[in-house]
Amino acid sequence: MTRTGTGTPPRTATITVDGRPLTVVDGVSVAAALVGDGRWTLRRNPVSGEPRGPFCGMGVCLECEVTIDDRAGVRACLTRVRPGMRVGTGGGDDGDR
Amino acid sequence: MSGVLTADAVIVGAGVLGAAAAHHLARAGHRVVILERGAPGREGSGTTAGNLHIQAVHSQRPGQEVPLDNARFLPLQRAASERWETLEEELGASVELRRSGGFTVAETPGQHAELVEKHAWETGAGIPTEVLDGDAARAALPQLGPTVIAATWCALDGYANPLKVTPAYLSSAARSGARTHPYSPVRRIDRHREGWRVTAGRDGGLVVDTPVVVDTAGPWLGRVAAMAGAALRMSPVAIQMHSTVRLPPILPHLVQHIGEGLSVKQVAAGNLLIGGGWPARTLDLEGRSLPSLASLHGNVRLAARVLPFLADLRLLRMWAGPLAATPDEMPLIGEVPGLPGFLVAGGTYAFTFAPLWGETLRCLAESKPPPVDIADLGPGRLMDHADHQADHQADHQEERNTQC
Amino acid sequence: MTADHWNEPSGAPETVTRDVLIVGGGPAGLSAAERLAAAGLTVTLVDEQPELGGQYYRRPAPAVAERWGDHRPEGGALVERVRAAGAECRTRHTVWGVDDDGRTLLAVDGEGRPVRLRGRYLIIATGAYERVLPFPGWQLPGVATPGFAQHLAASEHTPIGERVLVAGSGPFLLPVACSLVDLGVTVVGVAEAGTPYRPRPAALGALRHPARLRELAGYVTRLARARVPIWQGHSVVRAEGTDRVSSVTVAAVGDPAAARTFLVDALCVGYGFRPQTDLARMLGCDVRTDAVTGDATPVTDPRGRTSRPGVYVIGEAAGIGGAPTARARGLLAAFDILIREGRPPARRDLLRAGAALRGLARFTELTGRLFPSPARLTSSLVPPLPGDTMICRCEAVTAREIRAVAGEAEVPAPVDVNAVKARTRAGMGPCQGRECGVAVAALVRSVAGRTTDANVFPARTPIRPIPLRALLATETTPETTPKTTPGASPDALGPATPQEERP
Repeated sequence: MTRTGTGTPPRTATITVDGRPLTVVDGVSVAAALVGDGRWTLRRNPVSGEPRGPFCGMGVCLECEVTIDDRAGVRACLTRVRPGMRVGTGGGDDGDR
Repeated sequence: MSGVLTADAVIVGAGVLGAAAAHHLARAGHRVVILERGAPGREGSGTTAGNLHIQAVHSQRPGQEVPLDNARFLPLQRAASERWETLEEELGASVELRRSGGFTVAETPGQHAELVEKHAWETGAGIPTEVLDGDAARAALPQLGPTVIAATWCALDGYANPLKVTPAYLSSAARSGARTHPYSPVRRIDRHREGWRVTAGRDGGLVVDTPVVVDTAGPWLGRVAAMAGAALRMSPVAIQMHSTVRLPPILPHLVQHIGEGLSVKQVAAGNLLIGGGWPARTLDLEGRSLPSLASLHGNVRLAARVLPFLADLRLLRMWAGPLAATPDEMPLIGEVPGLPGFLVAGGTYAFTFAPLWGETLRCLAESKPPPVDIADLGPGRLMDHADHQADHQADHQEERNTQC
Repeated sequence: MTADHWNEPSGAPETVTRDVLIVGGGPAGLSAAERLAAAGLTVTLVDEQPELGGQYYRRPAPAVAERWGDHRPEGGALVERVRAAGAECRTRHTVWGVDDDGRTLLAVDGEGRPVRLRGRYLIIATGAYERVLPFPGWQLPGVATPGFAQHLAASEHTPIGERVLVAGSGPFLLPVACSLVDLGVTVVGVAEAGTPYRPRPAALGALRHPARLRELAGYVTRLARARVPIWQGHSVVRAEGTDRVSSVTVAAVGDPAAARTFLVDALCVGYGFRPQTDLARMLGCDVRTDAVTGDATPVTDPRGRTSRPGVYVIGEAAGIGGAPTARARGLLAAFDILIREGRPPARRDLLRAGAALRGLARFTELTGRLFPSPARLTSSLVPPLPGDTMICRCEAVTAREIRAVAGEAEVPAPVDVNAVKARTRAGMGPCQGRECGVAVAALVRSVAGRTTDANVFPARTPIRPIPLRALLATETTPETTPKTTPGASPDALGPATPQEERP
């Protein structure tokens, strides 16, 4: 691994977010993919209904949970994108897909 | 050291039973002092499932050796149920009371027969229940799994939030003049003139003279009674509860099991609470009791078999708490023979019985007849005959110095 | 179907038995794993993340590294050496509890399957997480920690926003601001609650650590060149926005009148790091509360040994000290185990590692003197918070609600923080008080004067929420052939006795 890169365009992956395609650098975290696309609201707080998004970035705060390939409650900050991954946002609770 | 206080009743233990007693006594005009060794409502009353058991209960927790006497329990459950009905109005506070009914399920023919048998007792005790076959049960509650072959429905089963019940009782008692002293463990209980002198506090600086002592100290009930000279055989245990992450409303009724330890419900906040009396790893009266992973596995496996949708949920936390169980698994309430004015109340299902025992303790303190028959539930049955001594001074010298 | 014939959904959980089990794949865990595996012990290292490296050596995605390079190639080199040495590395494994024997670790893998982990030696290298304090609007999308901004920038070449303000306290704020500048982000400013960058007698000690001082000075210079202001003695008053943060107001600490408001689309606020000690505490390790930080840290000796036989705690989990310290601690724990196994390292390696650790400890101490103590920051920033500030994010509990319950006691007595938690639900949500616990305790203390419970919100099982499905496997089969070194000494952990969880 060298410190500097090659300058050629990075490899990309196309995922779908709430049904719409999004192309990102392959292997970035789902949180990076969404935030990089300007999308910060990943879910709603089940008590107040307010919009919530990534906060701690390392799996502790549990604010960035999204549905990935039909599995709910997955932390976006700890998941790397794969081509074809289906991401669903806006859930409020477990079992609320 | 302040001067000696006087009270009409000193209550030892600010859990749900002590708090209920305080409310009833204070509201009736008595001067009440409550002595709590730690934080009010923290122990059994803070860790219990909060279920209101109105139909006949499963008679044996996992690991429990002596089954409880279901038929004897039922009239008490009915009397308690009536009092829960009006509790929130009586206390002027919400305790998240839900009386949306409950199912007790059976998975084997033998268990089905138990449901039928207990239905007869329930009818006799005036508690309306209905035995359904598996399909009818699933039609009523689709979340029930295929292994359920029958279930008893009781519209009066429910739950309340134990973290709200004890404070609501204490607030009501306070409005009527009761005073709670937390972090004031009782150090000695001595006969004093016609009544009792209770010494409490870290340095023994809190002294109260009273004609009536109400021992509702939960797992410490026996220790407190020993200070007054009574050796009660108690058998406290620790059990555990498990909570899932919140979800939208999905389970409207309490679900229990007639043959195994199970209770599942969805509380107001949205979490599902899974319990059933599974034993914790340790009972630690000085720290926190530790939950057992083996019990977690056993409890969850049973729960997911009866309610398969649980398998898709996530466990958020688990905790253990004490049960002030008696050796015969029956409730404990009454005056200690030989110790006039010394009342005790405890045993399992204390949460369900709290409104009933609170009222009963007031009646006993006032020397009035209790609202239900409690003659066979008194502490005498837990004592050896030789301990019914009025003079305890010499025999129990060391107990009097035991910090509770 | 009767109850007897109901089918369990999956087979028995896998049980892994090794000489050494390491939890945490950051600098400390990796350093220990490399040395132990190279010496021939069987080692399994588990980490919750999808890749090894922890926080400090978090790896860039390969496509990111190909295009923009690797900001920490030494991390990648260490990971490769660990694998080459023969350590088994299991990523996406979350250790969530300890079994009833007091030493078997319970985990779920990336597919939600249960895994049981046993080691004759357990090395806990669970790292740290950021210290945060609430302020009005902190729950808005777009408000995050400096650590998140750093990961986005360094590992994923993603700017956290276009106009960003960085705030809080501690040496980490400056490198984060620099990473953002390098990405082309407009960094509106850095608000540091303390005054570490003004000359003071305490700073004179820094002259003995010129390399470290140069590093900090380097960040200051780069930010000055980029015209990024550093406001010392300043903190965030509030963040505002509708569905995302759109502005932040900053003021001098203790002087909200002298406030300035900036338009931003992201805000990063953090106050250093706190050790993640849940697993160590669940294993029964003695902890002590650090008076400066207010954190409960496992008691360890320089080799990483704890009060539990065979259990080591290393790296940030043993106390915040930075990556070089973590690597030294990892090395020393490995050396200690090798000595116990009769394979002692070369004496000069041992001496060098010990000396490095002592030198690094002096820098940590220096940093501690430059920046305000977290305990003091908490007690000065939290009590004045407005009543509608959301303190517990998970359960949406406000400062007003917490103060009301804390102030309810009729007789003067220390207020139980856990009782306040029970009444308000603060700390009962998914993060189990990790983000709000310190603030809840500070609020209760400011109202009630005294509190019980030195340790706020004790470690409880499970450490993270786990799928119930992972608990439904049948009883464990007899263990697969344990892979421990032939002729190894009997179980180094000694007889299993359940340990009381410290309150």
